[in-house]
Amino acid sequence: MVSVALYLLVAALTIEVDPGRIREGMSRAGDLFGGWLRPDFGTRWPDIRTGLLESLSMTAVATAAGLMISIPFGLGASRNLVPGPVYVVCRGALAVFRAFNEIIVAILFVAMFGFGPFAGVMTLVVATVGFLGKLLAEAVEEIDSAPLDALTTAGASWPSRVVFGVLPQVMPRILGLTLYRLDINFRESAVIGLVGAGGIGATLTTAFSRYEFESVSAILILIIAMVFAAEVISGHLRRRLL
Amino acid sequence: MSTDRAPDGSAALKIEDLVVRYGKGEDVLRGVSLQLQRHEVVGLIGASGSGKSTLLRAIHRLVEPTAGAVILDGVNLLGLAGPKLRQARLRMGMIFQEHALVGRLTVMENVLCGTLGRTGFWKSVRRNFEPNDVEEAFRLLERMGLDGLEDRRCDELSGGQKQRVGIARALIQHPDILLVDEPTASLDPAASARIMILITEVCAEDGLSAIINLHDVPLARRFCPRILGLHAGRIVFDGPPSALNDEILTQVYGEEALESYVGVRSTETRVGD
Repeated sequence: MVSVALYLLVAALTIEVDPGRIREGMSRAGDLFGGWLRPDFGTRWPDIRTGLLESLSMTAVATAAGLMISIPFGLGASRNLVPGPVYVVCRGALAVFRAFNEIIVAILFVAMFGFGPFAGVMTLVVATVGFLGKLLAEAVEEIDSAPLDALTTAGASWPSRVVFGVLPQVMPRILGLTLYRLDINFRESAVIGLVGAGGIGATLTTAFSRYEFESVSAILILIIAMVFAAEVISGHLRRRLL
Repeated sequence: MSTDRAPDGSAALKIEDLVVRYGKGEDVLRGVSLQLQRHEVVGLIGASGSGKSTLLRAIHRLVEPTAGAVILDGVNLLGLAGPKLRQARLRMGMIFQEHALVGRLTVMENVLCGTLGRTGFWKSVRRNFEPNDVEEAFRLLERMGLDGLEDRRCDELSGGQKQRVGIARALIQHPDILLVDEPTASLDPAASARIMILITEVCAEDGLSAIINLHDVPLARRFCPRILGLHAGRIVFDGPPSALNDEILTQVYGEEALESYVGVRSTETRVGD
């Protein structure tokens, strides 16, 4: 107990406290919050627009591609559909996809493919496959097995059993999860932009590093508006389609 | 309903010494042998856990038998795999206890699922079923009293209607044999009787053989000219309903469970005999 207290004391003393920097920081915080109160959509509008559109296309492409890839992995990771070895391989692959936070994956892809939205799309695809694949597998493992048995007794092949017995049962889940992931991907596209993976996040970092807090405020407001719009649209789609 | 036990002994289905063991546990089926003649309707009775469902599922290889043989037209199904097994399965229509329909598909789609063993994958995905099959599906729905319901989703149907869709799905396979697992389990007595009448009529009209699992002994007596009693994975009775006396029912169900299955002692009523 005493040694812990001693350690904390020593550790605290090693952190330099510079009153000058704190003063400077406080005044910058003033600028920052002041800037937020005066959002400026106009000055950097071309950049903001490009960033937003880039984020939207990254989100759409990554969600669609991620969905396509996650379906085979998700089916393969369902214990009730495939033999043991396939299950282990697919579960393992999905675990790898989910192992790292998006930021780390983005840094990796930026290092591989350079700055820009391609690295961002790759990051979001990996995250989407990990997310949808795992949840899809869980949904498939919970389905009613009786219709599958019935299709088996009718001589249906494995792909037919999946299309007629499995997919109809998990379709509402797939749709709901995909809409949810669309929403997450848009928000993530802003975050991974911070490490150079394109999109509105890149515009945001640029504005920050220029101390243009009015533009930062405008971008944040737009992100909130987009997420809100996505919420409304996905709610509408859910009601229409499910 | 004829019990045409063909003199040449041409069995529709022969089961030899079928054993099913789940994991390292006890055997669920301990060497079941039986012959199902053409056009013969057999009722299979037994307490729950006696292996009735397992027997039907093992015949269809939904459960993999540990040993024995299931012989359909001289071919042992246990030696088949892939397309050959699927072709063999088409010839044995199975009707399930809880309908086993895909609730989110329409009645028509569920019936056409019975043709998946002979319809190509891509054709079925595009819902491009053979016109003959579609026509037949309409005819079967009419025969089941479900005409006009083809576009309804199956989860909107009543229990009895669902069971009829299940029967139509089995029949569109063009089976020689029906394997029927507790068709009346979730139905009230009147609906139960109607479903049994329907199944036995279909068997008579189309010349099918059937093995029908029934938990309800009076129903078995009424509709099945031959009854098999299964106890602890072994067949302990094989004969006509008239031979089914208290002693045998006790053998099949065990003394304490007898009342709950038979309801009334066999000597008191013979429903529909």
